[in-house]
Amino acid sequence: MDVANGASVAAAAPPAQNGERDEAGGYKLKFCTVCASNQNRSMEAHLQLSKANYPVISFGTGSLVRLPGPSITQPNVYQFNKTSYDSMFKELREKDEDLYTRNGLLNMLNRNRGVKWGPERWQDWQVGIPRLEHTSDRGYDGTEGGVADVVFTCEERCWDAVVDDLHNRGAPLNRPVHVINVDIKDNHEEALVGGRGILDLADSLNKAAKEEREAAGSAAFDIGSATSRASFDERVPEIVGEWQERWPNLPATWTLAWF
Amino acid sequence: MATTPQLSVPDQIRQLQDARKLVLSDVSYYPQVIQATLPIIGPSAQVEFRRWGAEFLSEAFATPAVPLGQKETLSLLVLETLKLLVEDPNQDVVVLRSVIQTAASVYPLALRWIINNAYDTTTWDRMTVIKTRILRIWETAPPTVRICCIKFAQRVVLAQTPSVNPEPRRGDPLDISLLMIPPNHTVLEVPSLEAEASGLLDRMLGVLQDNSSDALIVDATLNTLSILIRARPGTSNRILNAILNFNPLKLASGPMTPKIKVIVRSMEKTTRMLLTHLSRRDSRNPHVGRIHQYLERLMQARAEVFDGASRKRAHVEQDGLDAKRQRMAALPQEFQIPPMAAGPHSLADVFSLTSNEGLKTFDVSVVPAALAAKISVTTIARIDPKLLDRVLNGVRDRLTALYQVAQQADNPETASLDVEDDDDYEPDYYAAEDNEQILNKLDSSEPSSSNRELQKPAVLSNFALPTFKLPPPPALNPDQAAVVGQGTVTRVFGVMSTLDEPASKKTKAGINRLAASSYDKDSWLTIITRLATRAPAGLNDVSVKDEHNSASASRINMSNSIRESLYAYVLDDFRKRIDIAVSWLNEEWYNDRVQQIAASDSARDVPLHYDKWALRMLDGFLPYLHAQDRVLTRFLSEIPDLNAAILGRVKTLCRDPTLVSLALNSLLYLVMMRPPVRNLALDAVQDIWKEYDEARPMAGKYLTKWRPGFLEAQQQLENGGGTPTGPQTVAAV
Repeated sequence: MDVANGASVAAAAPPAQNGERDEAGGYKLKFCTVCASNQNRSMEAHLQLSKANYPVISFGTGSLVRLPGPSITQPNVYQFNKTSYDSMFKELREKDEDLYTRNGLLNMLNRNRGVKWGPERWQDWQVGIPRLEHTSDRGYDGTEGGVADVVFTCEERCWDAVVDDLHNRGAPLNRPVHVINVDIKDNHEEALVGGRGILDLADSLNKAAKEEREAAGSAAFDIGSATSRASFDERVPEIVGEWQERWPNLPATWTLAWF
Repeated sequence: MATTPQLSVPDQIRQLQDARKLVLSDVSYYPQVIQATLPIIGPSAQVEFRRWGAEFLSEAFATPAVPLGQKETLSLLVLETLKLLVEDPNQDVVVLRSVIQTAASVYPLALRWIINNAYDTTTWDRMTVIKTRILRIWETAPPTVRICCIKFAQRVVLAQTPSVNPEPRRGDPLDISLLMIPPNHTVLEVPSLEAEASGLLDRMLGVLQDNSSDALIVDATLNTLSILIRARPGTSNRILNAILNFNPLKLASGPMTPKIKVIVRSMEKTTRMLLTHLSRRDSRNPHVGRIHQYLERLMQARAEVFDGASRKRAHVEQDGLDAKRQRMAALPQEFQIPPMAAGPHSLADVFSLTSNEGLKTFDVSVVPAALAAKISVTTIARIDPKLLDRVLNGVRDRLTALYQVAQQADNPETASLDVEDDDDYEPDYYAAEDNEQILNKLDSSEPSSSNRELQKPAVLSNFALPTFKLPPPPALNPDQAAVVGQGTVTRVFGVMSTLDEPASKKTKAGINRLAASSYDKDSWLTIITRLATRAPAGLNDVSVKDEHNSASASRINMSNSIRESLYAYVLDDFRKRIDIAVSWLNEEWYNDRVQQIAASDSARDVPLHYDKWALRMLDGFLPYLHAQDRVLTRFLSEIPDLNAAILGRVKTLCRDPTLVSLALNSLLYLVMMRPPVRNLALDAVQDIWKEYDEARPMAGKYLTKWRPGFLEAQQQLENGGGTPTGPQTVAAV
């Protein structure tokens, strides 16, 4: 099924997806990735988006950071915003290096500690508070204002949690935000595929946003003539629909919400 | 920096970015930076600067980092610029968007300003011009600007309707409302503002009433409504009616292009999320019933629209490597048992294995029973037993799956409306750790999407098993209760004897000490003594009045049996445990007083325990005393009340000549150290002098000192023909 995912985009998308993409100038949408624990799916997507030089921040919507333990009933549980990836890495290596190497946790945490300090919880995020203390995070440039244009969630319930939370906050900032769910199974392989899918979608969205801004000048809408080119916001459903054709196994949901 | 034309546009933007970084790190620079940049970003500036400036202003007035009061002052600076920018008919769309966003943030601030500064009509006029302009372009602007107009209108409605909070919460921009406007305001007229808000709300809801298929506009509208419904009760009826009459699936009847699929799904999910959110936030809302009905209908309709797609996906996902798939593969393939689709199910659905719609709707009850029986028997006789097993297991699996779903819905608040299993993920509603672990299990078991589809409220309402409640245990009769109570007391004593004696004398906590703040021996003793004395207090006297009430009689037994246990416990080792006796008797004495005071109003009699148990205690250990024991002295000096009866028992000690000095010294101690009972004690010494010849020398010595004149009086009495014994004995010694 991975073969089907994104097969037709392979030629269109920039090829250098394993490494850093060359610095491409111009307008950049600000992205935010969200999964349950801000560990696997959102962090893989965070990494891939930051490698493509997008401003990106990431969060988890769970109440606690949960990582698999030696058995289903013994998960490793951590607090959001309080424990760094680095300390989790060291703790698990101490506990059972063999086990956590085999199940990929150490590898994941090692990747994460190279991306940012630690998992952050969506519900505790104060939208619009400057994030100047995050300078060492990957994808920091552009996120200093503490807002995002597009939120990618990696699971339906995270999308629900995000939208519900935005209702709770009451939209005090008057800033529109596209919330898009890309359903990714929570394992390392799928996270990698999902991250590529999200990057592909981000590229398509950013292309449209860039085009909108390049079409500078008058909107001239209220003197009669209809606008020739559709704006970024209204193109989003179409872009998501086209993307869904390319990535049929990553079911997507979109809404336009408010910060 | 405004006057450096030689700098290129990107360089100037870079400078502006530096200024922005400065205010992000310290918001107190906003006034200076805004004032310095306004000339650069004004209406005649190049589009790059206008875009940057409008975005910068929208950020400044949105960020929660700047306090509301400061924003209010800042708003006075920028209104003119905003007005000029928004009025330009050729304005850039990107600029316009940010300007309208800024205006939405500024509007409540400007309203608050004019409320408190009615003289400043210039400012309010500017705001009014901006508002008029925004509301005028609302219908004709491109969608990306229109959504911002909708948001602006929402803020106007919010500001111009009465808030749910009678006292506005300071610092919350969402709480600036009509309530803040005094009725006699010189500029603002409450009724016309309210009417304007009402009209704007109608315009906002128009998109739902027209059943628009423009997902961007519909979503943008729906996602602004929650705060209005929650914080502006006056609007909620109209808004909910509009939502409940909206059909987000209208487009689905036509051909489904990828874009339309996204749009339909988006509007359906956005509507559903808003309603779910509302009914969860306010489960007592009178509309909740209608909301639930609507959601159920929506789920059904959605299942019909997306059924094909989701079923296809479910099959695709089962091609993975999970265990379920392997089991399926081992089964004969000629007959598939389809997984349950989303939506509510009747019992018939669970047993329906055919996908033929015609067959499904066939009402079997029209077939005569005899014929039906004949058909069934023939069919079952011919059927391949393997196939029968398989379908039976299939149905059983369905029921198990549904049962598990019902089991998971353990939160009654959300269960009825829990349209997605995902909701329990929202941590605000669940705090318990075991839920975390359940979620962990769910996480790692990777439920297939078909399973997830099953976890729907509609299913729950049809299939939730009735709650089973264990019958309550039979009530204990008073005797049993007494026996059980006695058992409990015995156990507490048992626990206590296993505890170590406090290693060292604890420092006294003084007035801050608590009766029982730890689980050490002392604490248990305090609890026991209070159980004995206080717990049944007030019940006892009832039983005194009503002697035929066996229940109260057994309660008396209860507290008395604790007393007996305590008594036995102290006597077991009375030298060590005398302090327990003392604190117990203190409790008894205190309780007697309290009971007497309580009973004094109603002139009742209360049973008193102190005297009785003090005497019993004394009687209990007196026979075992020896001459060197100090325990008696201590006991007498520490118990709260002494009377003639108690001292009478002390007197009897003198029958044993070896204990005379013990008895007399204890009494002497009382004479010296407890002045209130001095006379009582001296009376006792006097009696000893009179009754026990062996004690006379010592008693006489004390009496000479403490009751001068007694001996002389006795002497005279005897000389005058009184009791003959005394003087001779004294003389003899």
